Amino acid sequence: MAGVLIRMKLVIIRHSMTGGKAAWMIIGGLFGIVFAVATIWLSLLESIPLAVMADLLAAVYVMWMLGWIVGPVWGGSTVLRVDHFALLSVPQRKLAVGLLFAGFVAITTAVTFLAFVSLIVYGARLGIVPALVAVPAVFLQLAFVVLLSRVAMVVFGVVAKSRIGAAFTGVLIAAMMVLAQSGWMIAVAIQVSGVLNDGFGDGFSTTVRAIPSGWGLVAVESAARGDWGLALAALAGLALLIVLLLLGWSHSLGTPRRARITIRGSRNAAVSSRGLFAGQTGTVVRKELRTWWRDPLRTQTVFVPLVWALGTTLLPLTFDEKLLLPWAAPALAVMAGAAMCNIYGLDGTALWMTLLTGSERADLRGRQLAYLLIFGPITLVIAVVFTAWSGLAYAWPWVLALTPAMLGGQAGLGALISVVAIAPGPDAHKRPDNPLEHGDTTGQANLLFWGGLLTGIPPATFLTLGTVYDNAFLLWTAVPVGVATGVFLAWWLGRVAIRSLRVRGPEMLFLMRTGRNSKSIKIEMPKRDAWIALTGWTLGSIALFPQGIVPVIFLLVGLDVKSWFLPLYLAGPLQWPSAIVMVLLGSYLYYIAIKLTFAKKPSSPPDDGSGDSTVPPPGQSQKLESV
Amino acid sequence: MDQVTSQDSEELPRREEPALRLEGLHKVFADNVAVDDVDLVVPQGSFFGLVGPNGAGKTTALSMAVGLLRPDKGRSEVFGVDVWSDPVQAKSLMGVLPDGLAMPERLTGRELLTFIGQLRGIADDVVAQRTQELLNVMELNDAERTLVVDYSTGMRKKIGLATALLHGPRLLVLDEPFEAVDPVSAAALKAILVRFVASGGSVVLSSHVMALVEQLCDTVAVMAKGKVVAAGPLDEVRGDRTLEETFVRLVDVEAGNREGLSWLAS
Repeated sequence: MAGVLIRMKLVIIRHSMTGGKAAWMIIGGLFGIVFAVATIWLSLLESIPLAVMADLLAAVYVMWMLGWIVGPVWGGSTVLRVDHFALLSVPQRKLAVGLLFAGFVAITTAVTFLAFVSLIVYGARLGIVPALVAVPAVFLQLAFVVLLSRVAMVVFGVVAKSRIGAAFTGVLIAAMMVLAQSGWMIAVAIQVSGVLNDGFGDGFSTTVRAIPSGWGLVAVESAARGDWGLALAALAGLALLIVLLLLGWSHSLGTPRRARITIRGSRNAAVSSRGLFAGQTGTVVRKELRTWWRDPLRTQTVFVPLVWALGTTLLPLTFDEKLLLPWAAPALAVMAGAAMCNIYGLDGTALWMTLLTGSERADLRGRQLAYLLIFGPITLVIAVVFTAWSGLAYAWPWVLALTPAMLGGQAGLGALISVVAIAPGPDAHKRPDNPLEHGDTTGQANLLFWGGLLTGIPPATFLTLGTVYDNAFLLWTAVPVGVATGVFLAWWLGRVAIRSLRVRGPEMLFLMRTGRNSKSIKIEMPKRDAWIALTGWTLGSIALFPQGIVPVIFLLVGLDVKSWFLPLYLAGPLQWPSAIVMVLLGSYLYYIAIKLTFAKKPSSPPDDGSGDSTVPPPGQSQKLESV
Repeated sequence: MDQVTSQDSEELPRREEPALRLEGLHKVFADNVAVDDVDLVVPQGSFFGLVGPNGAGKTTALSMAVGLLRPDKGRSEVFGVDVWSDPVQAKSLMGVLPDGLAMPERLTGRELLTFIGQLRGIADDVVAQRTQELLNVMELNDAERTLVVDYSTGMRKKIGLATALLHGPRLLVLDEPFEAVDPVSAAALKAILVRFVASGGSVVLSSHVMALVEQLCDTVAVMAKGKVVAAGPLDEVRGDRTLEETFVRLVDVEAGNREGLSWLAS
């Protein structure tokens, strides 16, 4: 069973592989490897006491576990959809075990396994026996997170059938993200507080070990102490959990198609000829607002950025720190972009109606407007209320300048990414079991988050200069600059997206019908260019953000944290130039990577109306009959 | 977009042009020629049936004909207007019902029709009135507050056909319009289509239900393995036999395949 499913999974992956998808996979895999290697590196640290290191390791395992629970929010449906096996006369448990083993064949699992090898490393530092105990612990831990992810997806899917449920899952997921990322805050706190020498409080140590992700560690530690009872109990506990999760999951596999919770529309659908809803764009705005209101998947996408932004900035209040409060609005403006990253993919093949009515422009502008109507008011309210609450007067121009730039920027960037990097998923009426199933948008969401930060650069330049020279005029000029940036980016990126939609519309529809790109991979980038682009993305990211922009900010603010920011280790006068060189280097590498990634694609057919009847792209790869 | 209404836009289609003309349409998917240099002419006012076994290339050909799939080569003209070089005008002349595609799923039937009507630039009062009529005719009035995503397959066909009819097109291109539609609804759909043709409209539909095509269509084309193997008035194509017999002869089904499956229910 497992062998058949694994082969099936690999075949499906092979058949649905496109150049873009492969690139996302490689980039995602590389990031994963970086995290995994960092985890192993942690277990090798000689400079901190072993006990503290174990606490940290346990905390990192919690983060890995949270990552597995939250992952499907962007990862979408699994390759082997449970639907495929609904009519198979195979015992549910056998199917569940098979699917679990198939689940192990994935980059994510391999990367996580690599990270968990740190437990063996840690065990080896304690002795041979603990190292031996660590081996089964690693496998149990891996099976645990993979299963937990599957069960979480089923549970979220059931809960999210109603919109309130979807909102709840959104809140839950955002809370987990806040928890996982607050690890960074802990890390900074560690450097400042000297906990590395003194160790964490007992509460922390106990908590991270009480969570099942830490049981493997408990087993290893107990084995080192010779406490065999606890060691066995920890391993047995983990195994028991796995069995329980497997039982729960296999039970859900056998459940016949669950009825969708019916969401009702309104009886009244009068034509609106005036105001916001008039005309072509207006009618799309109205359709979009209704969809945002009625689709549980979209409800969840609204709540994730909202709660994430609030949670991230409110968390420091627990130690009476209001420093982050004003940044809630910019954070929401940036993260909300992730909700916009696959706006066409969400609607699936409904694109044919846009193509047949020739309303590409109205459709895209309507979607942008609806997005701004949903996220705009709440972001602006949060901007004003939270900044006022914080009492940090200096933050006003920053918040008022960055928020509109990022809001508008994301409306533009999201529209563009939705068109050029569309991620196909099952159509809404073909996924009645789980309203949360959708295409894999991990890459797109990440691109929007980090790219969204860049939209703040124009006002940030004025803000920085104003701060450095203590010039109120420059500071406040940033506000109209921010508004102008937002308006311009929404308009301009939207325009690029409209043009792309007009030219590539039929190809996008084909992709969503068949799950395959209409261009075959062979004509994508040459191999050498692909590697150069990949290197550009990777090294460029490292140079631009952690080695460039972050040190610049630290230098500006006068923060004395060196961490792994290279320029800050240099002698005083060299810090600024080296940080700027890093920014330039990173930008240049990004430039090369962007050029190779996007420009090298085979040229799309010419714009309609160019006179010629048809000059189609070569190499369609799958037939349409009976889709 | 200009207001486009059916019977009142007489000047748009030129009288002598066929409703739909496909010239050398060609489409290759990887190693498979899905549509192989297809030529077809659908005369104005005809009820045209495109028949063929599964995988014959019907959906691919129709998708290319209406502008939803880019052909490798070839042309498609609607009343003399090229679908790929003048899409706006061409698409205003036809109504399309694709098979199995999504729609704006979170709208009710009435909201969907209103949305499409506004997108097509039809006057507000006309949209409201036509929507009401279409909902009546399609018997979708009972499901006033049901979202399209919760529609049954038959209801999806009906609302799809309603969106295709809304702007009063001169040509209807329907991919498997009767698949999964119950007999009562099918009778209603047939009546609508027959009336549409009687009032001067043209219909192209694909199907593999021969009896239905024989009953409705006056002109047929048979596709097999991406090629048109026969086309013309129904009586000419089928000769003295039934359409089904002609079809089986034309598409060359290998009888040997029926010998297998000895293990089944034995």
